[in-house]
Amino acid sequence: MACSLEHAKEFNPLKSRIRVVRKKLQGVFVPVHCLQCTSMPCAKVCPVEAIYRDENTWAVLIDYDKCIGCGECARACPFGAITYDPDTKQVIKCDLCGGNPKCVEYCIDKAIQFLPFEDVERNKRFVHVDKVARAYLTDKEWAEGMI
Amino acid sequence: MGGGDDLRHAVPENILRVDLTRKKVVKQSLPDELARNYLGGRGANAKILWDELKAGVDPLSPDNILVFGIGPANGTLAPASGRYNVSAKSPLTGFFGDANSGGHWAAELKYAGYGNLVFYGRADKPVYLWIDDDDVELRDATRLWGKDTWETEDTITEELGDPEIKVACIGPAGENLVRCACVINEKTRAAGRTGMGAVMGSKNLKAIAVRGTKSVKVADPEGLFEFRKEANALISTDLFYELYAKYGTPGLMTIYNEFGAQTHYNSKEGYAKKAEDNLYGEVYVERVVKHVSACFSCPLHCSAVYAVDSGPYACVGESCEYENLTAYGSRCGNYNLESVVYASTLADKLGMDTISSGATIGFAMECWEKGLLDEKSTEGLILEWGNAEAIIEALRRMAYRKGKFGNLLAEGTKRMSEKIPGSEKFAIHIKGLDTPAVDPRGMMAYGGLGYAVASRGGDHLRALAALGYSLPGKAKELFGSEEAADRFSIKYAAPVVKFHEEMRAIADSLDICKYITRTALLLPEIMAKLINVLTGWGIDRAGVLRIGERIVNIERAFNVREGLTRKDDTQPERFLKEPLKSGPSAGHVVNLKPMLDDYYRLRGWDLETGYPTRGKLEELGLSDVADELKRIGRLAE
Repeated sequence: MACSLEHAKEFNPLKSRIRVVRKKLQGVFVPVHCLQCTSMPCAKVCPVEAIYRDENTWAVLIDYDKCIGCGECARACPFGAITYDPDTKQVIKCDLCGGNPKCVEYCIDKAIQFLPFEDVERNKRFVHVDKVARAYLTDKEWAEGMI
Repeated sequence: MGGGDDLRHAVPENILRVDLTRKKVVKQSLPDELARNYLGGRGANAKILWDELKAGVDPLSPDNILVFGIGPANGTLAPASGRYNVSAKSPLTGFFGDANSGGHWAAELKYAGYGNLVFYGRADKPVYLWIDDDDVELRDATRLWGKDTWETEDTITEELGDPEIKVACIGPAGENLVRCACVINEKTRAAGRTGMGAVMGSKNLKAIAVRGTKSVKVADPEGLFEFRKEANALISTDLFYELYAKYGTPGLMTIYNEFGAQTHYNSKEGYAKKAEDNLYGEVYVERVVKHVSACFSCPLHCSAVYAVDSGPYACVGESCEYENLTAYGSRCGNYNLESVVYASTLADKLGMDTISSGATIGFAMECWEKGLLDEKSTEGLILEWGNAEAIIEALRRMAYRKGKFGNLLAEGTKRMSEKIPGSEKFAIHIKGLDTPAVDPRGMMAYGGLGYAVASRGGDHLRALAALGYSLPGKAKELFGSEEAADRFSIKYAAPVVKFHEEMRAIADSLDICKYITRTALLLPEIMAKLINVLTGWGIDRAGVLRIGERIVNIERAFNVREGLTRKDDTQPERFLKEPLKSGPSAGHVVNLKPMLDDYYRLRGWDLETGYPTRGKLEELGLSDVADELKRIGRLAE
């Protein structure tokens, strides 16, 4: 809702650049949004070179002066993260709100965070290693270390 | 009327009127004055029913009118704005029937552009309504009839080919006119109370499927951003945030059991030690919860996806609430968590209100204990306290009206007790609606007065006077004394209940959740701010309270027109006369008369009859309502 309001000044899940795919009874609630890929497949297929990288925020952006609304980028995106605004007839995607994402600002539990890539990978690494370690260490070894 | 897109914000554009008998659907613009006077949701539903429903109709006949309603907050960044209300004359109480549910259905309806759906008559064969933005169609539901709510939703979304479609529907219980049948949306969210599913079933209306793709505009987008930020701060620092976010409503079991105000054994007891290891929120989370979940735009996320992995009670579902843990648990003397979770899931699939169905089974169990029911009259069900198998089998028989005993259960506690001489004394209902999990003897304002005067019968959510006992500081600020926060005090019960009733009516009409407004966003000035950023109306604190009071009064007028008098604003005999025997609320009964006198005085209703006075109705801009009550001889001058 924050995303739709920020970008379209109105509420419409179809105008949100972040879409939550819900499979409730499976406990799956996944926000799908642009991952700002390094190789930018969307930019590669754009026939008018309207998609470019903002070097400051690392966001992949669309130049709407050039965009012809063909939708090739949406088809090229492996994640379904480029969508279509039914009113403006334009493709839309996450632009990281210029470096201060609204979704992060309004997430009460900090379930969404905006972090440098190296922090994300480091956190992942530690969580992963902890999980593996917990599997073979006893509670005592975990708490006090291997003495 | 309506107004152009740029003139009106947040308020849904249209009302849909559906004549099921003639298979005709008419779209009308939603009148501005309906929104300004009643907001939407419950308030607008009540106004529509007051205007259009003939008094004295059989609730399960085609003459009844069924209304779904949402309001200005739905589908926006307003916190917890995923609620809707469904209202009609109740087949349980014969008075104003109304139920509220969460999930994502309400927001979808808003994006389709509708505020209220009004259903008249009865279809000659089962139908469902398919709303696809402006395209609205009544479709054949013959092949859905007999399916449970989960199968129904799956079949419809498959038939229409879009997994984003939101479905509200009835299960077998609604089809079979079980009086406590409810409406279920998205499989696990229930508009539970007062038998709205039975009304839907009586109209041969199986489901309402919605897909909306339009935008909702608000008057002050920046203001709403700011409001949400403030609201998030209030919610995350609220006394109840951790309890709800961590344990969901099952966390309340701890509070009320330790108050000695928890329903055990059909309200014979108010405290049971064994609830600790079996039904407390911590136990629920540890044993069955798999993943937190939330309704639309909700920062509180009190829901959870749960599963019982194996054994006879294996099941998957969402949100086995505190009320369910009581209904199929402590109320029936059943302290087997997994069986309670299973029964709760089954009730969602069959489409039955957990509170009322559990209460009826609990009542039957006390009848069994007292020898008023036996194996012959129950057709083989052994209704001993805590017999989980019997509870589950009773639920099935109730939903399908199987056998004589299933039929008896399906009629609900009040009608059942009328057929079992000697059982009236422990038939725990008010106006025909079973009272919820909290024992009013340990919670005077919340339960003692709150339940007695609730427009829909034995219900806690009309007043939900939760501030009273939890926040003494706030109590002093609002009611002039910390005594208003004493759960046994009757001195401040009337103003506490009146204030909370007004604010609950606002939440139900916006339509936002009463858990974030329970204490965190309770105050009328906060709601005024929200209404203003949404609509741009420029309303103040007094204006908010006035809308709340108007809604309470139009529901009162509805009930008075149906024959309600002071004698109906009462409590079950057990709560009035039998003191709780043990636990922290031992020795207490509900001392109703002084609270009720105060409440009528404060409401401007007649002390003897409970009828509204002309003065009060005119003050609220309801002189036409006063005229109508005068015409039928039910107005206090």
